[in-house]
Amino acid sequence: MTPGRTSKQQRFIIGVIVISLLLSLLAARMFYLQTFRHNELYTQSENNRIRIQSVVPKRGVVMDRERRVIIDNRASYTLELVPSEINNTQTANLIADVLEISEGELNRRIRKNITGRFQPALVKRDLAFEKVAILEEQNEIFPGAVYRKDQARKYTTDLGSECFTGYVGEISSEEIERLDRSIYRAGTVIGKAGIEKYYDRELRGIEGTEYLEIAASGQILGVLESQSGVPEEPGSDLILTIDIDIQKVAVESFGEFCCGAAVVIDPRNGEVLAMVSKPSNDANIFSSVIPSDVWNSIVSDSNNPLLNRPLAGLYPPGSIYKLVIAGAGLELGLIDKISVFPSSCNGWYQFGIRPFGCWNKSGHAKTNIVQAIEQSCDVYFYQLGYQLGLEEYFRFSQACGFGKKTGIDLPIEAAGNTPNKEWYDNRIGKDQWTLAVLLNLAIGQGEILATPLQLAQFYCGIANNGRVYKPHMLKSEIGPDGRETSRGGEFSFYLPFSQNTLDILNEAIVGVVHGEKGTARGSKIKGTTMAGKTGTAQNPHGENHSWFVGFAPADNPAIVACVIIENAGHGSDHAAPAVKKIIQTYLEKHNLLTDDYKLTKAN
Amino acid sequence: MAIPVIKSYEFDWKLVAAAMLLSLFGLLLIFSAQYYSDDPGARDFYIKQMIWLVIALIAFAIVVNLPQRFYDFGAYIFYAVIVLLLITVLLVGAKTGVSRWFSIGPINFQPSEFAKVAVLLALARYFAYSKLPPESVKRLFFSFIIVAVPVALILKQPDLGTSLVFFVLLFSLWFFSGLSPLYLFLVISPLISLVAAFHWIAWVIYLTILLIILIFGRPGLLFSVLMTIINLAFGVMTPLVWNKLAEYQKMRILIFLDPGRDPHRAGYQIIQSIISIGSGGILGKGYLDGSQTRLEYLPVRHTDFVFSVLGEELGFVGGLVMLILFGFILIRGMRIAIKCRSMFMGMVSWGAVTIIFFQMLVNLGMTLGLMPVTGLPLPFVSYGGTSLVFFWVIIGLLVLADRRWQDY
Repeated sequence: MTPGRTSKQQRFIIGVIVISLLLSLLAARMFYLQTFRHNELYTQSENNRIRIQSVVPKRGVVMDRERRVIIDNRASYTLELVPSEINNTQTANLIADVLEISEGELNRRIRKNITGRFQPALVKRDLAFEKVAILEEQNEIFPGAVYRKDQARKYTTDLGSECFTGYVGEISSEEIERLDRSIYRAGTVIGKAGIEKYYDRELRGIEGTEYLEIAASGQILGVLESQSGVPEEPGSDLILTIDIDIQKVAVESFGEFCCGAAVVIDPRNGEVLAMVSKPSNDANIFSSVIPSDVWNSIVSDSNNPLLNRPLAGLYPPGSIYKLVIAGAGLELGLIDKISVFPSSCNGWYQFGIRPFGCWNKSGHAKTNIVQAIEQSCDVYFYQLGYQLGLEEYFRFSQACGFGKKTGIDLPIEAAGNTPNKEWYDNRIGKDQWTLAVLLNLAIGQGEILATPLQLAQFYCGIANNGRVYKPHMLKSEIGPDGRETSRGGEFSFYLPFSQNTLDILNEAIVGVVHGEKGTARGSKIKGTTMAGKTGTAQNPHGENHSWFVGFAPADNPAIVACVIIENAGHGSDHAAPAVKKIIQTYLEKHNLLTDDYKLTKAN
Repeated sequence: MAIPVIKSYEFDWKLVAAAMLLSLFGLLLIFSAQYYSDDPGARDFYIKQMIWLVIALIAFAIVVNLPQRFYDFGAYIFYAVIVLLLITVLLVGAKTGVSRWFSIGPINFQPSEFAKVAVLLALARYFAYSKLPPESVKRLFFSFIIVAVPVALILKQPDLGTSLVFFVLLFSLWFFSGLSPLYLFLVISPLISLVAAFHWIAWVIYLTILLIILIFGRPGLLFSVLMTIINLAFGVMTPLVWNKLAEYQKMRILIFLDPGRDPHRAGYQIIQSIISIGSGGILGKGYLDGSQTRLEYLPVRHTDFVFSVLGEELGFVGGLVMLILFGFILIRGMRIAIKCRSMFMGMVSWGAVTIIFFQMLVNLGMTLGLMPVTGLPLPFVSYGGTSLVFFWVIIGLLVLADRRWQDY
């Protein structure tokens, strides 16, 4: 036998020793519980119950980049019922009366949140103080009813910020199945949309526990000393990239128009400075049970206030998409800065038997690419788009970030639609469509659909020498220990354009605002040079949508703003002044306007 | 052709009787656990368990009557089949959301239970026929792979408790196949280092012990240096690995170690289990008279916490009888293992004892508040068909090994 190895007999003896020792340990533990602790445990089993009280931690506060509060907490009351105590009493009936709901509805709520017959099941959050007073005054007739102090979310109401703050709500059974059960349980409040959902784990902290001893009568005897609870850990506070000043101006810039979206980004790092979806809901109404009449008015509103327009609103981008086509044409050598197409613009372009109109019925005559962008000549782009072809159109669109999500740290982002050959084959049928689709696509119409966020992202790339940062909302996180962790900008991709192409595009979009014939010449800002592009997207359901994306200062851009105002007509009429207002506020705040402006203002 | 039958003179009746007594204990406790239940379906659990007991006894009879070489030759085939079944259950589960069972009509079949038999046979065959010395790294590595494949699939289900059984089985068979206790310790030492490094004092003490063992055990200078480096590396990795984990992953581990952090499930069950057992006293409150059980304070009392029902109703005496029955089966099983002339059947018997012992230890440790809640049922006693059949198959293998102990 090799030294160190054991014989069969030795193994048997070791085995017997191990088994005997461990069995003895179990027997000893049994003996200890059933003799030394018998009286204490017997009393507990006969007379007492244990109630597990969750200690919900403070949910993190959400602030803007200057640490002004956007989402806060407020004190509220929560009502819970202990199923075993209400079964044989009239409690359920009486409670249903107090809550002004049916007994069936009450039972449904108990069933939804039940974790055990002796554990309180959550019935109503954010209970009105008058109801608490009734329960408190007549507590002897409500055995099994437990109410406790809780907290509810408080959203700043004048920011139109629901599109990015989101809201919280009670966890659904599907969410319980999907999420981590060690963290989420029935009755838990979780983020349902926006920042509240995306950063739920950071905001929620870690739930604590208290073990309470309850007498058979239902009276709380105190904290169970033999079982130590777990202290709760508050959630992190979040500092967003949002600037409340810019956000407010962005909301106001819509004037009396009902619907639209605005996205404002710092192109140097992808920080979202403002985001507006109009019309918007007050996030506070979602934090509690929504009265049915309020809910019905929201869902039946034809303006669709539930649609998160900056992230999921799918619009034809109109002329602001022409920069993608222009960039592709320049990159592929189909055009250069001075080249012109054979057909000049006389208000329309004949393609086969079909005339394609330009927005300017009197025509733009012959234009080069810079002039075509400045004046937004459709005829120029019909010809360029046709030369480009569907494959290249698709390739450049994708490379510019269209047809896919930007990856912003918010849920429910739409990818948009960038059609290609397969798409048309599937949608219309093989050989059932003509290349005429390209003419529409080239002016940002037809089947191309993009979100305001995608367009803002693309123009961030144009403003930032082709380098695109992932748009993001979170600037830093302050942990429960007070330590702040910065979440910097994350590089996303490069636009597929050379420096020469970017220079030409930049020159052209400065011309849009500052050129003699520029379509947004009415929206100049004194004291800076702004670049931008107007868009007027045809809308089969009514007036055209008004688009504008702009950035400034043009030589060193610090802000990109993209606005769409639905049914507002030309881009130059309403969207461009809205962007002007946003950018001007930003530049003024950051002292980026020249003395020229200050003098004008002083006078 | 003569039909093979069990001949009483070569049959270990005492072993079978002990297992049968435990199974009957189980039936009585399941009946009591659900006697006052509001749910009529739950009140019939004992009937279902009786049907399963009949199926288990048929399985036992089949196992005992098949020739020894059937297991020997078929070991790797069973292993391959069970791996395929584990893959299939994951694929089917991905569609239905439940990835532990196959549902055939009213019957739920859990392949991970039978994976224990398949892995036991495969390991036994590998160790019995391997010409490599017990300390050979190649031998240790291959046997580890035999266990790692099904464990990876079972962890994916996810079922941490069951996967632990496999590692304990491997460890035990390394010992039984001749690996010296020194090497046995060194093989698992990196894992001890990983755990000990959660607290620097514990880690320093552990490393000191390791060095003393290496100095006095003399496994060779190069090997000792290598082991020290590996242990240091695992220890250093602990905080790094821990910090890399997401918050919810940390929570899962913490809940596994301290169920009190999960008060609505694991923590609550353990507290109620301790109250049940403790309140039973020496003689218990009497059969069907457990107030904890009757008032349904005790969740999953017919499966994982069936011992708590016993503790409450039959007291320390009842618990001791159960421990004696288990002790009897285990020591008799070990005797069979060392008696067998065939290395293969010896390994199978030792492994069978290991599985019974480990599951019993974990389950009782859990109900007595000594171990984390893992969801491992109590052998022969807990409600659950696949588990009952599995343990009777294990008893069948032990009886077979005992009948054929002289075969080589």
